[in-house]
Amino acid sequence: MHDLFYAALVFFSVLVTIQSAYTLYLTLYTWDRPPAEARAPEHFLPPRLSFTVMLPARHEEAVIATTIERVVRANYPAKLIQVLVVCSADDDGTIAKAQEKIQALRREGYGNVSVVVFNDKPINKPHGLNAALPSATNDVVTIFDAEDDIHPDIFNIVNTVMETEHVKVVQAGVQLMNFESTWYSALNVLEYFFWFKSRLHYHARKGAITLGGNTVFFGRSLLMSIGGWDETNLTEDADIGLRLSGTGEKIRVVYDDRYVTREETPPSLGQFIKQRTRWSQGFIQTMRKGTWKGLPTRRQRLLAFYTLSFPIFQALLGLYFPFSLVTMFSLKVPVQIALISYLPVVMLLAHFLISVVGLREFTAAHGLKATRADVIRLAFAWLPYQLVLAYAAARAVVRQARGINNWEKTAHVGAHRGPSSEPAEDLKEFVDDAA
Amino acid sequence: MTPRDPAVVRPGAAAGAVSSLSRGTPATTRLLGAASAAQRSLGRLGLVALTFALVCGLVTHGYHLFQYPLYSTDEGIYIERAWAVIREDRLSPQTYFYDHAPGGWLQLAVWEFLLPRHFETFGNPVNSGRVLMLLVHLASVFFLFEIARKLSGGLLAPMIATFLFNFSPLAVYYQRMMLLDNLMVFWVLLSIYLLLLLRRRAVLFAGFWSGLAFGVSVVTKENAIFFAPTIFYLLYRRARGDPSRRFAITLWMFAAGAIISAYFLYATLKGELSPPQMDFSLTHQPQGHVSLLYELWYQVHRNQGTVFNHGSFLYAMWLPKDKYLLAGGTAAMLISLYLGWRNKKRNLGFLVAGTLALEIAFYLARGSVILDFYVIPLIPMFALCIGLVADRALKALPSPLARVAAVVVPALAAALLLSPTGSYLLTHDPQTGKLKPNDVYYLPLTYLQNEQIAWIRAHVPPTARIISDDDIWVALHEGSPSYTYDQSHFEAASDPAVRNKIFGGNWRNIDYIVLSNGMKHAMIMNNTGGQESYILDALNNHSTEVWHASRGKVSLAIYKVQK
Repeated sequence: MHDLFYAALVFFSVLVTIQSAYTLYLTLYTWDRPPAEARAPEHFLPPRLSFTVMLPARHEEAVIATTIERVVRANYPAKLIQVLVVCSADDDGTIAKAQEKIQALRREGYGNVSVVVFNDKPINKPHGLNAALPSATNDVVTIFDAEDDIHPDIFNIVNTVMETEHVKVVQAGVQLMNFESTWYSALNVLEYFFWFKSRLHYHARKGAITLGGNTVFFGRSLLMSIGGWDETNLTEDADIGLRLSGTGEKIRVVYDDRYVTREETPPSLGQFIKQRTRWSQGFIQTMRKGTWKGLPTRRQRLLAFYTLSFPIFQALLGLYFPFSLVTMFSLKVPVQIALISYLPVVMLLAHFLISVVGLREFTAAHGLKATRADVIRLAFAWLPYQLVLAYAAARAVVRQARGINNWEKTAHVGAHRGPSSEPAEDLKEFVDDAA
Repeated sequence: MTPRDPAVVRPGAAAGAVSSLSRGTPATTRLLGAASAAQRSLGRLGLVALTFALVCGLVTHGYHLFQYPLYSTDEGIYIERAWAVIREDRLSPQTYFYDHAPGGWLQLAVWEFLLPRHFETFGNPVNSGRVLMLLVHLASVFFLFEIARKLSGGLLAPMIATFLFNFSPLAVYYQRMMLLDNLMVFWVLLSIYLLLLLRRRAVLFAGFWSGLAFGVSVVTKENAIFFAPTIFYLLYRRARGDPSRRFAITLWMFAAGAIISAYFLYATLKGELSPPQMDFSLTHQPQGHVSLLYELWYQVHRNQGTVFNHGSFLYAMWLPKDKYLLAGGTAAMLISLYLGWRNKKRNLGFLVAGTLALEIAFYLARGSVILDFYVIPLIPMFALCIGLVADRALKALPSPLARVAAVVVPALAAALLLSPTGSYLLTHDPQTGKLKPNDVYYLPLTYLQNEQIAWIRAHVPPTARIISDDDIWVALHEGSPSYTYDQSHFEAASDPAVRNKIFGGNWRNIDYIVLSNGMKHAMIMNNTGGQESYILDALNNHSTEVWHASRGKVSLAIYKVQK
């Protein structure tokens, strides 16, 4: 019996260590590649492609006007940009704010913004996007979230990349910025930093990518040909990425610190957990749907399966943590076994060290400064943050098992936009009746 | 947001800064330019030179490997501990008291485990360790060649360095032995080599693997830690200007630290990190259990006079074996340090080679306890310094003289090989005065130990309580019959578990004493606390010599204790 327990302990420790080492490799992947591979082009081609920008918004009165403003005033000819603000019919507040902004822009001569209202269900982001897709008329369709701060040159970058590299799908960088807002902000910011700057490049290179929810650009005809987004999926972005990968479509990831789309971390722990639960559950949904099975090679399928099933693994890790604490202090095992069981702790330390360096890299790249207090806070937040992620993953597993598929929306307050932005009217969340 | 918005300008500026760094400062560019020239593929000439170096290493270290030198006590100890790892699932057949980190014999255990007949694959168990040393030497030749090539940008430095590394009698003598220092040198050279890998391989994971190799070198033999400043400086120089520099440096430190901390973790898990009652007194050993921290404390405070004292290994062993390497290496080290210090950016290779040599020279000269084979890590570093300095000197010559030098250098090498004063290949027989090959290629010695083992097998019952030296311990325990009650004299004297529980500190409990060369001397030297007295009593007053063999200065014997 003892031998069986030891074998299980060794097996799980080694498994976690391998997984952790692999994740570390993905985290640092881009730093192991030539810098030019991820960077945006230094010189832009003249604007040729036209863009339809979809701005799905739900109770985004606080931020929608600013977002429209930024898109319209991008460094790209207005005649080549069409903006569609996508709202459900019951969201009077957002529709009113958007209309107000549209009127103001029209007075300045900008007539390329309109609101697309849908009144059928489910009320969620993929359904809104599908509802607006027939209204899209330009070459390339892109999505920005209502709280996004896009870079003015983002269209020039994508125009240049698509024209020179002949790709139909481009995922550009998205970056949370407010690393000092809450105890978990820095770690959340770093997750985005490593995900978009490093890991997505690996996925794109291997041909099995879960795309992000915004700042992603599709050739319109390609998007139409695959039937748009899956409205039943909580992470429709991940799903569409894998479906496109399955068709063999080349997907280009561009993460250049200078041109990222800026976002904010969820304003409260509750919001953060709900957001993370939705993502985890969406991944599990996509895994169960089997999109990944359509990928051409076994290696691609494995990578996709690993990515999508990770929330389950993360939930198990959360359970393993108290177990390992108890065994650490109460169980007497042979020294060799104990040494092996410490390997995951060593890897945890590696991830922490890389996060500290990552914070330094992030702040340096964006002209910010991480103080010693930020690093200390990161150290103290590190383990609780991992436990929160594990909790959210476990919550997702439970919700999925119980068939609860409603969309838990994240509130936005514009923390990444600084004090001049409009304050949030409220932080209320809503639960739609999509289930 | 307008282009004048600081939020837009700043990231761009930051990225621009990174970009200009990656292009490098002029000095860095010169360094990288030199490095990239050196890092081109070997080419046909380079391949020939490397192959020649490897073949030379194979011949000088492989020929006569099992016959000379005599199996040493330390070789026996490490084979014995590898045996304990495989056969008894522990780090030592007796109490492991943290005299050395166990990395070296764990590697040896893996090697022995992989061999088809384990310890007996090549006859005497020590031979299997020596075969591993041969492979380790060949790998080290490769690393030294590549390090010298990358640091100098040419083929002359690696050829000279590996020539000395292969042919120096000092090198051949010690590098053939199954010693932790040889394994440590392998890992240190690998760690340096990884940092000098081609530019197309990003520095990031090279930093990780280099740190891992360095960590393994430290847990193989702790004195590798003396190389840390130079290797870390090389990492810093290698990573400077690279976008991944912060990660590379962090990964290096993490990898090295993780491996080294495992040693401390092991001691902690065993409850043997600190001594009982935190007793660090050097006047008496703390009672209760062994302790890693106490052992480190004890080792740091051991003093034996400096290596320059009359009668030290420097004069007794090292200079007689190869005065040219030691004198030339010292001079080259000083020149390397001067050149490297004067222009750190341009002369990185000299700075690296010079400080590597200086660090280990400092270790040897600082006045702690030194054993004769501690010179091993100095050999490649001196060879590297000589190679780099010779290369620079020849490059500085005007072209007519350089053409002359192209003939003189091989002639010098040939003279060194054939001149009996250097004893590289030939030497004078002290008795006849005639020329003969150096002992390392000529004199068979280990057959004496094999005859000793054979006599025991033929005449001594397996139940006999034997005290022997470590060099035959595994041969007696592994073969058939197995002499389970054979104990090394050091353990029989120093380990209370053996001295008191097995022998009861009484000469009457000993049946045979198997003396190796120098063992009696070692027992007398080790008897400061009287712990060897009962064995010496048995040897001097109650035993009869039943077997004896000698050749030159080597003398072996077996005594039967009369009761």
